[in-house]
Amino acid sequence: MIRIEITKLLKGAQGPFTLSAQMDVNEGGITVLTGPSGAGKTSVLRMISGLMRPDAGIIMVGDDTWFHSGQKINRPPQKRAIGYVFQEYALFPNMTVRQNLKFALQKSQQPSIIDEVIEIMGLVRLQDEKPMNLSGGQKQRVALSRAIVQMPKVLLLDEPLSALDRAMRIQLQDYLHEIQRSYQMSVILVTHDISEIFKLANHVVSIQNGVIVNAGTPQEVFSDHNLAGKFQFTGEVVKLETQDFLMIITVLIGSQTIRVIGDQSEHRELKIGDHVLVASKAFNPIIRKLS
Amino acid sequence: MLISNSRKRWFFIFTAVNRLQGVISQVQTDGHLTILKVQVKDQILSSILIDSPVTNPILKIGAPIAAIFKETEVIIGRGDVSNISLRNKIKGRVDQIESGQLLARLSIQTNIGVINSVITAQAVKNLNISVGDEVWAMIKTNEVMVSQ
Repeated sequence: MIRIEITKLLKGAQGPFTLSAQMDVNEGGITVLTGPSGAGKTSVLRMISGLMRPDAGIIMVGDDTWFHSGQKINRPPQKRAIGYVFQEYALFPNMTVRQNLKFALQKSQQPSIIDEVIEIMGLVRLQDEKPMNLSGGQKQRVALSRAIVQMPKVLLLDEPLSALDRAMRIQLQDYLHEIQRSYQMSVILVTHDISEIFKLANHVVSIQNGVIVNAGTPQEVFSDHNLAGKFQFTGEVVKLETQDFLMIITVLIGSQTIRVIGDQSEHRELKIGDHVLVASKAFNPIIRKLS
Repeated sequence: MLISNSRKRWFFIFTAVNRLQGVISQVQTDGHLTILKVQVKDQILSSILIDSPVTNPILKIGAPIAAIFKETEVIIGRGDVSNISLRNKIKGRVDQIESGQLLARLSIQTNIGVINSVITAQAVKNLNISVGDEVWAMIKTNEVMVSQ
């Protein structure tokens, strides 16, 4: 269990506000922090990492105390077993992929971990390339790999996929899922992407103005759980077409699109890019085995 | 539909679907399945769910609930409909007809509110339906969703 109880006075765009967060994060899962910009999500990550000092509180990972204002414990970042990946790639430009990973290796570690991570992250053919020859998605894969090489207990990810296009994002989500499963790391991920949350998160914490406003499974936080429809997905409206008094609404769910018939009056409510819940009675779908 | 325009707030808007507010009057459960009776004014609607009062605590007698169904699931009948298996039959008067090449949208004024139905334009012709006619709006039990 990762125990986080922190308060910190922050300077926001609309003036100072107090971040006050209490959460217990299960180890070995993916926890998502979500909420509007400036809510304090990045500050939470920075305080877990030790880059920012809470005004008061406790941060414990298992039995390890990383921060305790009462006991005056404040471990420096290098003494906290964390990996941290931001939206920017921050790779060493003069080093190859392999050298970048090697640089992150600590003295006590077996070098064989590098080969293992290179394999899992699909970097075998890119390992001798320099960052300038890599695409955005590849660079971010290297940045993730570099964080993983150190075998952190807690992997902090601050919108690491938000600068990537959708196809690349989906691919990296799969890698992230894979490494989290392989190494049983505790991942704390900041993201706005609802489909990403549904795909990856075991637990979601929604923060607004420094306060946790909602927490639970993605289904509990984002779905209308009061709606008794067993066939529900969330997705993004990608196309709206009108025919007579009907609308044909195309919704992207994960990497697949579906089309739903709606009433034309929905045109006034919906626009491209809206996040929507698609629900149906569970009696309607048919299932066919794919061979 | 769940809509978030600002990414800040999540809220639900059920656009355009038929939504009738009522109260649960009966809960009949067998294993994983439940048939709910929803009292909407003088009409009882039934809905079948893959749920039970255990898995979904909102399913209790007296609880306010909305019965929700799509326009495309509303069957239209005229005359005697007593020998049809459908549980949900609501009498009303056609208020408005909008016809396209293939489909038509009927707006029906009933005791429990307006019910919209989308059926084929040919069906409207065959049944000889015009504005003011008395019709039955019918919905299969497994097409009725419920929401708090």
